[in-house]
Amino acid sequence: MNYWVQRLTASVMLLLAVSMLTFGAMNLLGDPLFNILGPAAADTKPESLEKVAAAKELYHLDRPLPERYVRWLGDMVTGDFGVQFGSTGQPPVSNLIAERFPRSLTLIVMAQLLASMIAIPWALITAARANRPADRVSTINSFLLIAMPNFALAVILKYIFGIKLGWFPLTFKATDPWLTRIYQTFLPALTIALPAAAVYQRLLRTDLITTLQEDFILMARSKGVSRRRVLLRHALRPSLFSFITVFGINTGALIGGSLIVESIFRIPGLGSAIVEAILREDFPIVLAIVMIITTAFVLVNVVVDIVYTLIDPRVKR
Amino acid sequence: MTDTIEKRLGTLFWVAVGWLAVISLLAIFAPLLPIKDPDAYYLVKGVRPPYSPSGTHWFGTDQDARDMFARTIYGARVSLVIGFVAIAFGMLVGGTAGIIAGYLRGRTDKLISFIFIVFLSFPSLVLAILITALLDRGLVTIALTLGVLAVAPVGRLARASTLSFAEREFVTAARAIGAGDRRIIIRELLPNVVVPMGALALLGMAVAIVAEGGLAFLGLSVEKGPTWGKLILFGAGSRELEKSPWIAFGPIIILFITVLALNYAGDRIRSYFDVKEIGL
Amino acid sequence: MRSSSSHRPFRRLGAVLATAGLALAACGGSDDSKPAAEPAAEPASEPASEPAEEPAGDDTLGETETDVTLPPDDDADSIFGGTLRYGLEADVNGLNPTSSALAASGLMMANAVYDTLAVYDENDVSTPHLAESFTPNDTLTTWTMKLREGITFHDGTPLNAEAVLVNFNAQRGDPLVGLAIMPFFPADDTAAIAVDDLTIEFNVNFPIADFGSILTGQLGMVASPTWIAAAKEDPTLNQAPVGTGPFVFDSRSEDSVTRFVRNEEWWGGDVYLDAVEFYPVTDGDDRNSLLFNGDLDALHTTNQASILDLVDNADYQTIIDDTGEESYAMMNTAIPPFDDIRARQALAHATPIEEYVELIGLGVSRRATQRFTPESINYNPDLVQVGNDPDTAVALVAEYCEERGEETNPLLGTTTCTDGKINVELQWSGPSVVQTRIAELLDEAWSVGFNVTFQELPQDAHVLQTAIGQYNVNTWRQFGAVDVWTDNVWLLCATINPAGLSLNWPRNCDEDRDALLFQATAMSDLEARAEVLKQAEALINEAFTYVFFTHTTWVNSFADNVRGVCDHTSAGGERMRCAVSGRTWFSKVWIE
Repeated sequence: MNYWVQRLTASVMLLLAVSMLTFGAMNLLGDPLFNILGPAAADTKPESLEKVAAAKELYHLDRPLPERYVRWLGDMVTGDFGVQFGSTGQPPVSNLIAERFPRSLTLIVMAQLLASMIAIPWALITAARANRPADRVSTINSFLLIAMPNFALAVILKYIFGIKLGWFPLTFKATDPWLTRIYQTFLPALTIALPAAAVYQRLLRTDLITTLQEDFILMARSKGVSRRRVLLRHALRPSLFSFITVFGINTGALIGGSLIVESIFRIPGLGSAIVEAILREDFPIVLAIVMIITTAFVLVNVVVDIVYTLIDPRVKR
Repeated sequence: MTDTIEKRLGTLFWVAVGWLAVISLLAIFAPLLPIKDPDAYYLVKGVRPPYSPSGTHWFGTDQDARDMFARTIYGARVSLVIGFVAIAFGMLVGGTAGIIAGYLRGRTDKLISFIFIVFLSFPSLVLAILITALLDRGLVTIALTLGVLAVAPVGRLARASTLSFAEREFVTAARAIGAGDRRIIIRELLPNVVVPMGALALLGMAVAIVAEGGLAFLGLSVEKGPTWGKLILFGAGSRELEKSPWIAFGPIIILFITVLALNYAGDRIRSYFDVKEIGL
Repeated sequence: MRSSSSHRPFRRLGAVLATAGLALAACGGSDDSKPAAEPAAEPASEPASEPAEEPAGDDTLGETETDVTLPPDDDADSIFGGTLRYGLEADVNGLNPTSSALAASGLMMANAVYDTLAVYDENDVSTPHLAESFTPNDTLTTWTMKLREGITFHDGTPLNAEAVLVNFNAQRGDPLVGLAIMPFFPADDTAAIAVDDLTIEFNVNFPIADFGSILTGQLGMVASPTWIAAAKEDPTLNQAPVGTGPFVFDSRSEDSVTRFVRNEEWWGGDVYLDAVEFYPVTDGDDRNSLLFNGDLDALHTTNQASILDLVDNADYQTIIDDTGEESYAMMNTAIPPFDDIRARQALAHATPIEEYVELIGLGVSRRATQRFTPESINYNPDLVQVGNDPDTAVALVAEYCEERGEETNPLLGTTTCTDGKINVELQWSGPSVVQTRIAELLDEAWSVGFNVTFQELPQDAHVLQTAIGQYNVNTWRQFGAVDVWTDNVWLLCATINPAGLSLNWPRNCDEDRDALLFQATAMSDLEARAEVLKQAEALINEAFTYVFFTHTTWVNSFADNVRGVCDHTSAGGERMRCAVSGRTWFSKVWIE
């Protein structure tokens, strides 16, 4: 119990620290007044001066930075992400989040699913044929995949599957039916999934090989259990622990990588939203998405921990 | 990459190192080399660029008739500088912090570790974009930004290494004979920690180079001059890929091989020295 | 490089640019506003290794036909039904003509939901539309506008003088939109007076021969006053416009699709389409692909490479127009170094215009020397746009640096000259592959006499920096209004505000030029007016504030089964000008 309280505290402190860092950076390096009001902020007409005064009051811009931060934090915790700066109409940020979050979520989930679907069989096969030619080749392949930068991979996949073969569409349309959208998300998801699959496969393979050398495996084999059964039923489960850990931790990395992929394949998700928002210095959006990403990251880590302790009773806290 | 223990670095390792050396030399001596001007426009009247690879233009030209081979070489200059500065900064700041944390333990360690974790949980690309978008896009800023991002991973490794070494006999022995903290850090710990960090340096350079490419794809790389990321970006439009794929693929291939070489070399060094560790 | 005092990002200035009936995607950022968006060239079909080799095939377009419109379709065949899916260059932040930034894309959507008080007919003369008539007094300084009876907005509010005044005053009150109106009207209430329920009297500062032309664009759009008031309270309503137009707002998903459905009770007659959907697709190639795949029924574009593909394709009806808008480099004369004409001349002489026209224009966009195309009555054939002359440039730079090299460039914080070259900052809007290529092209040629620093900014920030005069030189797009006097706002001394926002972007005041422009504005004899305009144009040329590259080529392309593309008419039954700088109307379109 103590352990979880500690975890919780650490996570909360982490989130606070991240938020402070972002809030500070944006407000110190940018200028919120101009972002909100645009040219009116530079204008000298009385109507504009009124607007400036109103904005300063509404957004508490005259208050010191720490106070603004605390206000923002209070709002955020109650679910109020504020309004988008400068967008005519200043719709609440939560609208944007609600619209875009599912798309990014779909992308990440698809990517992880694909990665697992590729990695597990790949690992099983190469573990069964450890150190033989097929394994050696696969090792090289996975190494190559990990080394390939994700934007380069995106370009290559786009070229081969989108242009040369024409199997996949090059654009994403949010109004298309759900299934079509999944189809449109496939190539970007694959771009993220391939290097991840390579990482997972390497890890899983190593673990499988180690597990295969354990006594209980030899026992099962001596009892006449087939190789395949041994692999799938007896060796896989225990070998999954590291895989699960890395799987969870990698989600954070995937989220980062998805920014670029979303931009390249023009998927209107959170990743492309935050990139655009940073360029436009739309602070509330940036802050909101950063918090979401970091919270997701922390949550995933916690979930991984929980799953780990649940699966393996041997793990002591 | 290896299951069996290898006491040698292997020929492939030296091939990788060779490639890196070649690229570095080409990059450093680029202005002296008999290659075309990367910024010049080699327009041929009446024929519209891009020109495909040929005897005059080994990698072809881009849409503005600029020689891709020269641009790729000059792009290497930027990428290598960024990689080097970023990792050097990361090692200097992160390494120092990590060693101190690992050695001193206690509250210092807790604080430094916490800072590391904050930076590690922060989606790094977002941080990079934030900083470059809010400040400027000069070579130094971008290199240092990536350096800042390198601090946490490097520091964490330094700390872990230090922790494991700090328990060793030679440290205890040094302390027993009355050696001060500073002496112990510099003389006993540092040489040992440097080795795994050296391997990390190569891997880190690869990451930094790739990160620059990522930034370029978001339009946020160095403002002036060719970089690998920018070159690939210019060639990555649907029309380019369809009709003149060489624009993107020349730099992609060079980038890929370089990153591969860095990864491989770093990996080999790591397993080589790890093995030595076990042998101790 | 980026000090927080001088580089403030910024949002809605585009609106002001789009008033007076102009489309403006400031500085050419529209088609190219996303990374990986824009490449632009026909590849040579064979490698060109030596200059001695035969050029591989003829892949230059030569001169693109311009001003291509379509003949009338036979109305009798028109059928009701169908949805038109239209591809736009970009999305907008909102669709409120009194406060939103409406460039070409925004104006396309606005054309569906709003009507304008006047429209251009086929002869480029304004003709009343929502208004019934425009009657001037003898001195052309008071114009009485009578509205049509019985028109209501989509929300039931009646169209009357009151409603128009609400729009007019809201626009005047907006810091951006208001700037564009300011030179024409007095600052007080006498600018527009409601005479009765359907009549408004406009008083203007100087005689205007064709007042209606200023009301053919954003400035002439009339939105429901009820809605305007509601949107003031709840700004999210800016995304759900209410006008009198042939289509009613249905739904909107920002950056994805905006949908309008038929206005069953449109005062202008039958509307055939069930609905119109607008899809912002920033990458020109993607937009073309979607059209060719059948995922879109129509689009607009300025991307030269896309235009080449469209023009070649007989399955699509393509309207081409390069009489609007020019692309150019623009200098700020308010601060060093370009406060000195020698520096400006040097930059112009060093500019690689031929390479620009070849590499960026791709044979699609014609080289420009002035605001008018050669077919225009106002074209001055004696004017020359200098460029590709590095020797003259170097000489001028030497002269400038000798005399003024020790002064300060306030933008860069350095001396005006370093090592015998003038220090300047080049700004443009991005991220955009094409804009970056242009910047690099310019830099390479300018480097004979200039040390060029790059500053790429997001579009809004770029527009703001230009408006407040925080730039040395930038790349820009402007001009080409159908009725040329509405372009005065970019040229007059009156629109320079030394302390704040200035629509005369180069901040170049020439009272003689102003006099000529005012004189032309009052003339209805087009031939006589042309002579005056040619003189004004010569003065613009001599000021060296613009280095003209090309006339921007706007293309609207429709699939074969889209009919009635150019059949839209004014309320008086006259056929309208089919497209104005990339914007067109769908009131008479049907799908087979």
